[in-house]
Amino acid sequence: MINPADIPKIRAHLMTVLVVDDDEMIRSIIIKLLEPIGFAKFIEAGNGAEAHKYMLDPRVRVDLILCDWEMPKTDGLTFLRAVRALRHRTDTPFIMVTSQQSQERMKISQAKKHEVSAYVVKPFRGDTLRDKVFHVLYDAVVKKLIAA
Amino acid sequence: MSGAARHIKEKRSLLPENGPVPNRRILVLDDEPAIGEAIRGMLSPQAPRSIRRSSRSVQEPVEIRAAEFDVTVVQTPAQAIDAVTFALREGRPYAVGFFDVMLGAEIDGIELVKQIFSVDDKMFAVFVTAYQDRTVDTIGGFLGEQNRERWDYINKPFTEGEILQKARNASSLWDLHRLKAWQEERLSEANRQLLFSERQNTVAAVGRSVAHEFGNLLTHIVGNAELALAQDQADNMRSSLELILRASDTAASILSRFRRLHDSDEAGPVHAEFNLCQVLDEALELLEFQFRKYYIRVEKPTDKQLMITGNRHAFVQVFVNLFLNSMHAMPDGGKLRIEFTTVEGAPEIHVRDSGVGIAKENLDRVTEALFTTKGKEGSGLGLAICKEIVEIEHGGELRIANYFEGGVEVIIRLRPVRKESA
Repeated sequence: MINPADIPKIRAHLMTVLVVDDDEMIRSIIIKLLEPIGFAKFIEAGNGAEAHKYMLDPRVRVDLILCDWEMPKTDGLTFLRAVRALRHRTDTPFIMVTSQQSQERMKISQAKKHEVSAYVVKPFRGDTLRDKVFHVLYDAVVKKLIAA
Repeated sequence: MSGAARHIKEKRSLLPENGPVPNRRILVLDDEPAIGEAIRGMLSPQAPRSIRRSSRSVQEPVEIRAAEFDVTVVQTPAQAIDAVTFALREGRPYAVGFFDVMLGAEIDGIELVKQIFSVDDKMFAVFVTAYQDRTVDTIGGFLGEQNRERWDYINKPFTEGEILQKARNASSLWDLHRLKAWQEERLSEANRQLLFSERQNTVAAVGRSVAHEFGNLLTHIVGNAELALAQDQADNMRSSLELILRASDTAASILSRFRRLHDSDEAGPVHAEFNLCQVLDEALELLEFQFRKYYIRVEKPTDKQLMITGNRHAFVQVFVNLFLNSMHAMPDGGKLRIEFTTVEGAPEIHVRDSGVGIAKENLDRVTEALFTTKGKEGSGLGLAICKEIVEIEHGGELRIANYFEGGVEVIIRLRPVRKESA
């Protein structure tokens, strides 16, 4: 059993969030919605291929990935698979952002296999986004504790 | 199964379950009641006749004579017209009429049949006459070319076999005509359904793209609204509100274009003058997200105006279908080039992609309905419908070929634009 008191606090200001979306305005909205709760470091990428370059470099710290599903060239699912194939990124929390609910439902089971941590459906409210972010980060911390 | 039995089964399958019911109703007109009744007796015997079975006839289908025809006998032209009119009104029309020619009335049998044909445009007539006073050519000339197949001729005295066989042939012909009409109706209904479902496919394909764009635009709106609420500086709030308005305007314009694509069916084909450049822009904007997604670079004509006359909604569909095909041919990106030219006064639209092209063996078949190389993803109707819109609805021509530099080129040639005199 884990004692809740043992769970370290999530220190958002030290974390780096990778935001992947081909829509620049949406990246900026996500960032602005996360800044007020302490997140300060962001890496932006316009598609999966660009984001993958950051992931390949083990020196780049990424604590959380927020990624759009439907993007030109390399979409969210392809990027997710590529991330999970990297040994040093298998546990990085990954939130998939999607807009086409009904159509995506079919694909979600596919994404489950590759361990997507949560989904956010566009359009989303700031609270929903922040809840999901804290939820997946908390889960990740607990997972690490159990593994240790 | 014996040959005869198989033959019967095949014939039966021609009459689908909900098809027309065989019509065995017969009208007999003769001013001599005895003759009328004699014909009734031949066509509709009161009691079933005993059927002699010989060893040779064992495999033949059993013939039931008793219930073969439902016969009405009348004596005057007025009664005949009343009977036909009443039967039609009741929805139980006569298939065949046997008409005496010399009636001792104001009009003869041939004149009467002409009148009956104008009341019932499906009934068949058999003339029964004792005199050779009218040749078949005279009768044919009188009844007209349009009724050529609707009448027959028999001389008195006749035999039972002749009357029976005429009745059978004529009523079968009536059935066949009804069956054919019924099948044609079903076919055109199926065709309508097919066209409708293909339009729905186009709308759905565009809809997926629009749904994604809407998700993004709503995120702009919701996100900026939240950010505006969190602002305490009026200037910052103002810039968020401006972004909200801009996203709303874009959403409204996408929605109205999408609606137009969707509603065009209900409005029916309206032919009017329109600017093809505008229609092209609408189609391109509807698929804008997909072009970005597949890294397709679009090159469009620099022209701002090309006025043509036709159904503008149909042209949006033509462009959307062609672009969806091109996109499918370029999964790893490429170039889509649209050009407008005028050849001898006829506007031409060229749509060229840099995709994989069409295999030689398929080139002749790609515009055929139901032909597809896309497997389950394709209905095989996209290009067929484009061809129909261009060629049948607008009298133009749609050609498709592999371009010499690679990819596919579709050339749509429209009818020459009539220059209005200044």
